[in-house]
Amino acid sequence: MPRYEYGGDEFIFVELAEEMSLEVNFQAMAITKKLREENAADILDICPSNASYMVRFNPDSIHPDALISKLKELEKSVSMDDFEITSRLVDVPILFEDPWTHEALIRFRDRHQDPESTDLEYVARINGFESTDALIKGITDYPYLVSMIGFVPGLPWCYQMVPREKQIEAPKYVRPRTFTPERAFGFGGAFAVIYPVQGAGGYQLFGIAAAPIFEKDSKLVDFKEDMTFPRQGDIFRYRSITREEYDSIRQQVEEGTFRYVTKDITFKAQDVLENPKAFSDDVLRRLYS
Amino acid sequence: MIKVKNPGLQTTVQDYGRIGFYEVGMPPSGAMDKYSYTASNLLVGNDENAAVLEVTYLGPVLEFQQDAVIAITGGEIPPKINGEPVSMWETLSIKAGDELSFDFVKGGARVYLAVAGGIDVPQIMDSRSTYTLCGIGGLEGRALQAGDVLQVGTDHHHVVKSGTRILEELIPVFSKRHEIRVVIGLCSYRLTEESKERFFSIDWTVTPEANRVGYRFKGERLNFVEREQPFGAGSNPSNVVDLGYPIGSIQVPDGIEPIALLNDAVTGGGYATVCTIISTDLNKMAQIKTNEKVRFIPVAIEEALQARKEHKQKILQMKKHIEGNLEGQMNG
Amino acid sequence: MAKSIVSPIPGVFYRRPAPDKDVFVKEGDQVKADDVIGLVEVMKNFYEIKAEADGVIERFLVEEEGLLDSGQEIAILIEK
Repeated sequence: MPRYEYGGDEFIFVELAEEMSLEVNFQAMAITKKLREENAADILDICPSNASYMVRFNPDSIHPDALISKLKELEKSVSMDDFEITSRLVDVPILFEDPWTHEALIRFRDRHQDPESTDLEYVARINGFESTDALIKGITDYPYLVSMIGFVPGLPWCYQMVPREKQIEAPKYVRPRTFTPERAFGFGGAFAVIYPVQGAGGYQLFGIAAAPIFEKDSKLVDFKEDMTFPRQGDIFRYRSITREEYDSIRQQVEEGTFRYVTKDITFKAQDVLENPKAFSDDVLRRLYS
Repeated sequence: MIKVKNPGLQTTVQDYGRIGFYEVGMPPSGAMDKYSYTASNLLVGNDENAAVLEVTYLGPVLEFQQDAVIAITGGEIPPKINGEPVSMWETLSIKAGDELSFDFVKGGARVYLAVAGGIDVPQIMDSRSTYTLCGIGGLEGRALQAGDVLQVGTDHHHVVKSGTRILEELIPVFSKRHEIRVVIGLCSYRLTEESKERFFSIDWTVTPEANRVGYRFKGERLNFVEREQPFGAGSNPSNVVDLGYPIGSIQVPDGIEPIALLNDAVTGGGYATVCTIISTDLNKMAQIKTNEKVRFIPVAIEEALQARKEHKQKILQMKKHIEGNLEGQMNG
Repeated sequence: MAKSIVSPIPGVFYRRPAPDKDVFVKEGDQVKADDVIGLVEVMKNFYEIKAEADGVIERFLVEEEGLLDSGQEIAILIEK
């Protein structure tokens, strides 16, 4: 049963489930999509998250209890059977075991569960992978659903589109780092993320994204309309790249010519839930065709 | 134009805030004490969303290079023009060549300086507010620096007579102990009953990191109900599957030190939130200094809404009073 | 004449520029007006505390990493 909670007098928080699943994330997406379509003047922000969603409203024009009733009605009226998502498939190049995040993770070894290993070695071991290469293969073989955006502008939480038993899980650092490089690729809970800007962070550090996901005054085509690139519902494929390709992409970014490889897609939530592997295989074929 | 001779500790351009972009992780920013902010704009005849300077702890030294109408409200950081003390909460005239400076903070933490016409910086996502974490808005996305020059805008519609004052009963009084009202909820089920009780019965001390992103408090360790962590949440008992954080929400990472998120909040993450500061008391939070004591008071949603109504009523009272002290309308 | 040097802001007081460095000034040291005698950290910013006049720092009233209120006395300066 969803929980409807007051976030003070300006927010309503709705927890659909305590644990993460593709199903509950699609449900949050479906409810918030419908709410957005209503264009209600008394609603200021609609924030879907991983297994919950949040609404910021104007309590001078609607009582929070009236809004909760409305959200409950909405939840009943949303059917997952024919819920379709229109988004993008995106190729996201990652340099694993790069020098920059390596330096950061070494600097904060005293805040980690296992000071003797690297983050990649530690997560490979606790997830039963025989090597770090096998873990990288596990991360890059199947695409991720962008299940939530936030923390700082543009940070995507990404949940792999595989059955539960194949999900990779990792604890966060024992104490958060005070420094994480910009574009660091990290993993925490069941989520992969890219840090848009330099800052604090507690996710395990595996590598670095070659291209930005946040640009405040960029020449890049992908940031013409928004400072932030990821959108909830996007499907990201993390692709392991060489240092050579990394340097070449960095140069394209500097020159303002870089553009993400993307394909527009409309898909049914049900198709993902019924056979995530078949869906993932199909998605990868389409992305690189 | 206004020349910044000394920026103070952290002086930023702020307006009502960048509303409607929370879902992409963009916090609202904006003036932290909206009550004092609104009063400052009213006193100079500005639009309610005009940009002002928010001064924290230590005031700047500013040289006005044009005649201007200004008002200074908020915490007690006593202002001086050419070294002579001037009143806060009052419409003031300042002449080209005059220097505005401030004494040490006596009470509260933040002062708002409104200039008739507003501070003119580019609008980013419908707002002039500075969000320093990502370098967005305000003057080049950062706090003021020595040598900066500020332009005055045209966001005003009234000329208010010099000497117009906010009614005495509407001027807040600052102390070093604070009661902040919160609505319990969100993931409060994660705290043990005993810790919930302790949360509301001890004095929490504001730590030195306290800034526009959030305030951190020292007090005592709180405990979470033991459970097998849900899938995707992470292993610490204070972790939940990453969710949205309301402005004003309070979380307790690892049970060690509660953090209240404020205007430049991180918009979401994986820590259990246990309650939310009511919107009216966010203004009070803005005036709390490092080392001061805070007691959290649980209230029902109806009390939060009532406090909000009373707050609006006070603003309305201010408006009516100032409307009786106008010299004229601006064109356009 | 003895004069107290006060902190204009609340925060954490440091007598050294960095943990592995020497203190800015020792008790009994001569200082000139505008010499830095310590730092106050607040909101992740560091603010320099300076001597307001030439003289001798007689003693410090706050220990290293002590918490300060705004207006709190940090040291006693004997003016020349």
